[in-house]
Amino acid sequence: MSGTNIGTAFLATLKRDLLISLKRRNDILNPFMFFIIVVSLFPIGVSPESAMLRQIAAGVIWIAALLASMLSMDSLYRSDYEDGTLEQLLLSSAPLYLLVFAKNIAHWLVSGLPVILVSPLLAYMLALPSEGYMTLVASLLLGTPVVGMLGSIAVALTVGLGSRGLILAVITVPMSVPVLIFGTLAVQNTLAGGSPLGYLALLGAMLALTISLAPVATAAALRISMN
Amino acid sequence: MAGRWQWFHRLGSPKWFYEKTTRWLPWLWGAMALFLTVGLLWALLFLPEDYQQGHTSRILVVHVAVAGTSLSFFPLMAVAGTVTLVWRMKLADMVAKNAAPLGAWFSFLTLATGSIWGSVSWGTWWEWTDSRLVSMLFQFFLLLGVISLRAAIENAETAARACALLSIVGCINVVVIKYSVDWWNTLHQPSSPISMEVGSPNGPEFWVATVVMIVAVYLFLAVSLILATRNEILQRESRAQWVRELALEAG
Repeated sequence: MSGTNIGTAFLATLKRDLLISLKRRNDILNPFMFFIIVVSLFPIGVSPESAMLRQIAAGVIWIAALLASMLSMDSLYRSDYEDGTLEQLLLSSAPLYLLVFAKNIAHWLVSGLPVILVSPLLAYMLALPSEGYMTLVASLLLGTPVVGMLGSIAVALTVGLGSRGLILAVITVPMSVPVLIFGTLAVQNTLAGGSPLGYLALLGAMLALTISLAPVATAAALRISMN
Repeated sequence: MAGRWQWFHRLGSPKWFYEKTTRWLPWLWGAMALFLTVGLLWALLFLPEDYQQGHTSRILVVHVAVAGTSLSFFPLMAVAGTVTLVWRMKLADMVAKNAAPLGAWFSFLTLATGSIWGSVSWGTWWEWTDSRLVSMLFQFFLLLGVISLRAAIENAETAARACALLSIVGCINVVVIKYSVDWWNTLHQPSSPISMEVGSPNGPEFWVATVVMIVAVYLFLAVSLILATRNEILQRESRAQWVRELALEAG
């Protein structure tokens, strides 16, 4: 297997997943709308006062982004499993973790990126001071792929199962805790006048670690699930 | 080579494990009873009252022991999981399967005893700024995840390997969660109102009682895990000749 072929397989998987998502608009729209709706509940449920909202804004947006990512994850390997594509991917001579990585990227571009793009608007609605916007977006850019790839392991483990909603949450939520901590700390530190670079560097380190290990674990999980 | 690794392959045989543990169990039971009696009596009757906490410091003897033990479950399950994935050893999975509910129970006990102690010493049952409570809670969630994954997959071998992988990933994650929660808290609050660490305010008598109790709880863990694994062996190997003979002997 030459290098170009592996690259071709990677790009083909990426392109295929993006095309499928574009044809099934709900895949893009659902997590996006869910994110906006969840965020808009907080001022009503907690307090509409901007002094209060300012304090919780970063945390609310981060949690809503995590939940939206979890919602979209359920469909990550399902249709591929049902129509037999997943078996073909497993049989492919290209390394599975690379194909998994391509699928993760496609999934993040479709479900993670729109959420991040709209986050400054919601941050404004939650009265987050404007100096926090850049940090919020940067932390989401670094953090949400980590959550997506960790979730991908859980999805791969449960791919053939009928009911798995809660299992997915119970596995993914504790794993997302470090990302949530450093994401919100970065924003809070910026608002307090400090530099967010340390926390962003930690998120970057987590991203690097996850990129190197999570696709391998997901590939192993898929092989286990598909027997 | 064959000679050196023989013990390892024998260890993988459920029958060998069952026979060995039949001989070990009385000793383990005895040691556990001894350490548990000494530790509990010491903690409840002979430990002097703490000048600040009074009688509540006695809870810590049990709490520290249970908490320390509950931290060993994910490493244990990760090692068992690696053995399952690499050597496909059935016994390792039987241990891992029973370790998960035990670990969840120990984590729950840690949270419960910690809360009871905290309700008196800190004046609150739950304190988010204490990182140990928070990371133990998420370890508890992860263990529930492993248990529910096992329950959801019907095929026993697939379940074994899926849980093995999740245990390995979870083990790494528990460490990352632990350190990030620690960091998060040191920034929010430099130190807890009263340190839960077995440290200088507590004299050596407290230390020794705690160590005795830790040994007792580890022995309890060993006994429970061995008993549960033996049960699992009998269930899974119920068609094997030696299990039938055993059943006939027992009547």
